[in-house]
Amino acid sequence: QEQITVRGTVTDSLSGEPLTGVSVTQKGTNNGAATDAQGKFAIQLDRPDAVLLFSSIGYKVAEYPVGSTAELQVSLEFDALGLEQVVVVGYGTKQKKDLMGSVAVVDVAAMQKQPASSITNQLQGRAAGVTVIGSGRPGEEPQVRIRGFNTFGNNAPLYVVDGVPLQSIASLNPNDVASMQVLKDAGAASIYGSRAANGVIIVTTKSGGSRISVSYDGYYGSERPKKGNVWDLLSPTEMAELKWMADPSKRSADPQYGNGATPRLPDYISPAGRMEGEVDHSLYNVDPRYTDPESLNGFYRIVKANQAGTNWYEEIFRPAPITSHNVSVSGGGDRSTFLFSLNHFDQQGTLINTYVKRQTLRANSQFKIGDRVRVGENMAVSISNQMGGGGNAIMMAFRQQPIIPVRDIMGNYAGSFGSDLGNALNPVAIQERTKNNRNKGNRLLGSMHLEADILSNFTFRTQFGGELYAGYSHQFGYPEYENSANENTVNSYSEQSSYGYNWTWTNTLRYEATIADIHQLTAVAGVESYKNEGRNLSGSTQGYFSFDPDFTTLSTGSGTQTNASSRWADALFSTFARVDYNLMQRYLVGATIRRDGSSRFLNYQYGWFPAASAAWRISEEPFWDIAWMSDFKLRGSYGVMGNQMNVAPDNAFTTFTGNRYASFYDINGSGNGIEMGFQRGRVGNPDAKWERNINANIGFDAVFFGGKLDVTADYYRKDVVDLLYNPQLPGTAGTATSPFVNIAQMTNQGIDLAVNTSLPIGDQVKFNGQLTFTTYRNEIVKVSDDAQYFEQDSRRFSGAYIVRNGVGTSIGQFYGYQIDGFWNTQEEITAANAGAPGGTYQAGMGLGRFRYADRNNDGLVNASDRTFLGNPSPDFSYGLNLAVEYRQFDFSMFLFGVSGNDVWNQLKWWHDFYPTFGGAKSRTALHDSWTPTRHQATAPIQEVNATFSTSQVPNSYYVENGSYLRAKNAQLGYTLPDRACSRLGIRNLRLYVAGTNLFTITGYSGTDPEIPGGNTSFGIDEGIYPAQRQYLLGLTFTY
Amino acid sequence: CKEAFLEQPAVGSLSEDVLATEAGVNGLLLGAYGALDGSAIGFDPWVTTPMNWIFGDVAGADAHKGAVGGDQSSINGVANFSIDASNGILNAKWTAGYEGITRTNDVLKVLEQVPEGQIDGATAQRVSAEARFLRAHYYFELRKIFGNIPWIDEQTTELRQPNQEAVWPKIEEDFRYAFDNLPALQTQLGRVNKWAAAAYLGKTYLYQSKYLEAKAIFDQVITEGHTADGQPYGLVDEFYKVFYAEWKNHRESVFAVQMAVNDGTNDITNANNGNMLNFPFYSPFRCCGFYQPTQDLVNSFKTDATTGLPELTNYNQNPVKNDMRIAADAPFTPYTGPLDPRLDWTVGRRGVPYLDWGHHPGVAWLRDQAYGGPYNSKKNIYWQATQEQYADQSSWAPGTANNVMIIRFADVLLMAAEAEAEAGSLEKAQSYVNLIRARAANPSGWLHAYADAKNPLDGFSNTPAANYRIGEYPAGTFAGWGKARAKAAIHFERRIELAMEGHRFFDLVRWGDAEQTLNDFFAYESAITTDISDGHFQSNKNEYFPIPQIQIDRSIDASGNATLIQNPGYN
Repeated sequence: QEQITVRGTVTDSLSGEPLTGVSVTQKGTNNGAATDAQGKFAIQLDRPDAVLLFSSIGYKVAEYPVGSTAELQVSLEFDALGLEQVVVVGYGTKQKKDLMGSVAVVDVAAMQKQPASSITNQLQGRAAGVTVIGSGRPGEEPQVRIRGFNTFGNNAPLYVVDGVPLQSIASLNPNDVASMQVLKDAGAASIYGSRAANGVIIVTTKSGGSRISVSYDGYYGSERPKKGNVWDLLSPTEMAELKWMADPSKRSADPQYGNGATPRLPDYISPAGRMEGEVDHSLYNVDPRYTDPESLNGFYRIVKANQAGTNWYEEIFRPAPITSHNVSVSGGGDRSTFLFSLNHFDQQGTLINTYVKRQTLRANSQFKIGDRVRVGENMAVSISNQMGGGGNAIMMAFRQQPIIPVRDIMGNYAGSFGSDLGNALNPVAIQERTKNNRNKGNRLLGSMHLEADILSNFTFRTQFGGELYAGYSHQFGYPEYENSANENTVNSYSEQSSYGYNWTWTNTLRYEATIADIHQLTAVAGVESYKNEGRNLSGSTQGYFSFDPDFTTLSTGSGTQTNASSRWADALFSTFARVDYNLMQRYLVGATIRRDGSSRFLNYQYGWFPAASAAWRISEEPFWDIAWMSDFKLRGSYGVMGNQMNVAPDNAFTTFTGNRYASFYDINGSGNGIEMGFQRGRVGNPDAKWERNINANIGFDAVFFGGKLDVTADYYRKDVVDLLYNPQLPGTAGTATSPFVNIAQMTNQGIDLAVNTSLPIGDQVKFNGQLTFTTYRNEIVKVSDDAQYFEQDSRRFSGAYIVRNGVGTSIGQFYGYQIDGFWNTQEEITAANAGAPGGTYQAGMGLGRFRYADRNNDGLVNASDRTFLGNPSPDFSYGLNLAVEYRQFDFSMFLFGVSGNDVWNQLKWWHDFYPTFGGAKSRTALHDSWTPTRHQATAPIQEVNATFSTSQVPNSYYVENGSYLRAKNAQLGYTLPDRACSRLGIRNLRLYVAGTNLFTITGYSGTDPEIPGGNTSFGIDEGIYPAQRQYLLGLTFTY
Repeated sequence: CKEAFLEQPAVGSLSEDVLATEAGVNGLLLGAYGALDGSAIGFDPWVTTPMNWIFGDVAGADAHKGAVGGDQSSINGVANFSIDASNGILNAKWTAGYEGITRTNDVLKVLEQVPEGQIDGATAQRVSAEARFLRAHYYFELRKIFGNIPWIDEQTTELRQPNQEAVWPKIEEDFRYAFDNLPALQTQLGRVNKWAAAAYLGKTYLYQSKYLEAKAIFDQVITEGHTADGQPYGLVDEFYKVFYAEWKNHRESVFAVQMAVNDGTNDITNANNGNMLNFPFYSPFRCCGFYQPTQDLVNSFKTDATTGLPELTNYNQNPVKNDMRIAADAPFTPYTGPLDPRLDWTVGRRGVPYLDWGHHPGVAWLRDQAYGGPYNSKKNIYWQATQEQYADQSSWAPGTANNVMIIRFADVLLMAAEAEAEAGSLEKAQSYVNLIRARAANPSGWLHAYADAKNPLDGFSNTPAANYRIGEYPAGTFAGWGKARAKAAIHFERRIELAMEGHRFFDLVRWGDAEQTLNDFFAYESAITTDISDGHFQSNKNEYFPIPQIQIDRSIDASGNATLIQNPGYN
């Protein structure tokens, strides 16, 4: 057959500029080419009557018959509506206008303006229906939830990076991301079957274009912690006043503040309560590097009181730099493209000794072998060093008394040793003692694929990919000497290592055909297998002669050596198919089905996950003549998604284990040796099967005013049935792990809304706005056959729980006693008792203590009067991105907010009640607590005892409104004019300054209203790592 | 191929059939022993410890919760009887008990599955008898704390059992089985033997006021009983040697939970974890200042200067002098009146040697003297000279190798005395009490002043550390007093001999004395410390603690009714 060669040039229809990287394909085949830097292309055709398709992101697809023209002049029209944008969906791509399911396409360029170590951090507020909650801790993966809750366990979505399913994308270099789509409903996600229930985020990394391009992106910035008395704590003088008020017995003889009507601040807190001249400095004896715990007894600590007060927050948080350098080189030709990138990211945390440093290297390339075969690979290696932690230091910073200085008279650490200084630890010491600890991770992530065109309409694709990772960490435990209760008196060292891999092998066959110009049919069928395996290994020992980090290994200690290991493995095997049919670009229907088998189940290993979807582009109908609404599409889908992630791999089996701590016993009475004993580890359930997430979605996409405004809205409902839950067995079953059974039920419904606007204002100003709006309403329908709830998070309430997940309510609600004011007079107490069966209205009643509501009106307060006190899930959350371009300048601002959520402020427990450990107390405790003459107060009476009626049980005192609006990011950029660029010999250069977390509007009293948490218990603040304000200077250029 | 690809066996654990061998069953039995210490099973070990310092001594007015008000504040509800059913410590104690029971039931279940001929008859009999002993112990613990508890045994499949049926007969049956089937000698010291079962069976009778049965079996224990390694039961000559790891598993140790330190775990979960909070604060022990003896307890150690006998009533008049509100560096002379020498092995008080750690310094070792009083506990401490062997510093508070003695022979004698007195043999009862007092009167078992106060490790002098006076009841005293007063003397002896060993509250309830004694205590002690100002014991309610609300909620059956019924007074 005769081959003809067609050449041409592709330009922008408005500017006439040549367009590079435009894909040119012969319609109905996979034969294709791309334009070069001058917009030129050449393609070999096997028939003279062929039709060529020209497509490029952001432009409308153009069709040109070849005819007799030797040199084609093609101009592409800018696609203001984005309708022909190519969107990656499960096992294929689609144009946006053909979408039937709910897919949020993330504006990656806008998102990447947020400086962050991972793209999940950047995702917050950028996609409707996606909730992201993070903190200021460097390297910490934020919690990502798509459309609320789907399970009581892990609600994290499935990530698919270049076709490879992954549980985490923390190691991905944000600069490498080319596009990101969020599949939210069954219509879009069900093809991922058993792992689709939490939603799917599809990430595609960049690939090379036709011309060689070198680009650099870099920024440097500084994070600035808050200043001042962020926790509103009392000064040392006020602390003494509070003590005198709450515990009058101290006035006669206090170890620190003397005796008398007013307390006296000491000059020294150790020896306790001494004044200048009463301390013999020559007695000082502290060896901070002692190796014999017994030498602790001989220490003589001399610590001066910090009478002005130590601001522990400022002592542990300090300004911290953030740096990112990214270089990428890409290019290609007719037969191959490549991209190579290198990223160095270094973020120091504002908390001492917290950081994340990561280097990422990526190589993506693709080759055409002949006309019908394509092969390619994506590969990234990352090396990270990360110290996240620090939660304990933050907690100790808000607990440690301000009279304690950071260091003693000789520069060693000072602490709560002395008398009546509480038992908190020195937070500076905690963090500084971690300085030689390391936590490293290496990860290789990638895939290879081969695609072959078979016959005329079929494409076969096989892809093998996955990740291989190894982690390593070590810690040294320094002996403590400065605390009232030194937790470590024996130095110790431990190491942990882990390694694992998972792989996915996918084989698909795709069919595409257009019949009689009006019938478009695509179909995909495939098989996929997945294997996941890994191991952990750790060891520790004690008693090091020297603390030199070059000396400490697991072999060089002198104490007992311990070691431990664990391993895991699981597998999935799947078959799946999808069919989409499009009639006249108006009527679209599609169906997917997947059958998954999981190694986590025994008797019911396989599950079926079908979904169907349909769409009607009403605006394509002849009768449609609404000029201001150029495109309108109604969509709907219904289907089933599955989940199996939360089931332990050995859920099916009843097992026994031996555990040195819990089941071994010194049966010989030796006093120092234990013999092996067994206990039941797990009760098995061989009948567990797939969770089914039955999902209905209805939505529309509309474009107004010729593309100036477009709106996508969805309403969804998810009924999760056969929800896997491990109901707490009655106590009579003992403490073995209870099995997951398919027993619970839950529903979610909500609305996702995305509005985009793009408005030219005059000639030189361009305005862009994006609004995302997310709501979800969760309701637990059933917990188990008998249980109506399960509880979590006891904190300092010693087994009385803060969170109750109860039938008929939303996940994670706060639960406890509702406060109904204070007991202001003895008469009130007497009257309440008189009406109470048994003569006691409420345990621990007393003047100035809380009066709890008798919710069931039985005349007294007991466990059955507890009620739901607040909901940590917001009514709605929203993100608003505003961008303005004027000549060479661009400005953008991104606002993010949540509204209607409650926060449990556990700091109040530590600060507002005198008896809750002798730590730092709040101004509320001293100045706004109940006294016989101050009945209008916030906190209850300050007294020595903790009671049921004050701080001992969870009650409504801790619940606060957690709504906030935050300026996440603002950026001002300047782009060098083209002429200047060409003089410098570069293509593009942009400089910018940016600020993150510039302001937060909230009524919440803590340091940061954005509070991460667990899956069924969250929104509890007990000293979070706050997101701090950050200023950046950045530079981008392309050569 | 496909099927094998998805086959994934459980990793790192054993299945029931693998354990159905003699060795496997023995491993399960050791696991059932392993639950005795209540440690490392998911709850605070100080709550679940069989030593019961919270439910026995804090509830029984021998000890303050101690430390500071807000630390472990859920224990306040035990100290002042304001506890409500949602208090988490109840669920901890409950679940820990049933964990022990589950492990014993697993032994019995798997034992049935061991193939014929794979285990010899004697071994099988011993294993089942040990398991049933342990099960009865776990039930005994739950019974005395919660009163109404459900019974689960190896035959039970429905775990939601009612708690309104009597469990005493079943506990009795298990101990009887153990007594009938256990060997008298065991090769391993930690195993229970026939005589331990007999003593516990007697205790079970006593709790049911079956005095004649109790008397009969105690007679047998006292005359024939011996330890697992064959030492005839008797009192250790020196009182203090009863408590510390140096001398443990002595002839007085009838049933003890074995504790091990530095056992390779780098943790103290097998090292008397339940007492980890109960060391002086700001001290070489580090943590945490809980479990402080009450002034009321200290006063009960006063004796008559001439007879050396205790003051059975009004012992709180002319109290033992303390150092409340006296600064650490201000001078203080300890009480000089006559005292029972057992006081200073039971209570750490200012100016008196605290084992070999030096004189107790008073307020300097206390976390909040105004709150928890001036004293520290002592029977649970380790010695400085031997800390390397018997203490474990690998956790945030110390562990020790001191065993927790559930029953010691002195306890048996005092229980026997009660049974004799109730049965009318006051002379015999008195002789048992005098055995106890005679041992306490042995001067070589007294605490002595240091040879050199500056160097406590140099040992002790021959001078008693305080003015100790103790004497036996002269012949015929009990008979002359009559049953009621004799019983009071036995009860009083029980208090001071077994003080701070976790018995007191259960004894008071058993005797029907709880309301009077505890409310008197609240009136007296609340003038001294600030912690129990709102304490009040309500009779017909506070004798038992509430059934954990969460367990009632989880006991709802198919018809929607809770199978567990809350104890009287808590609804």
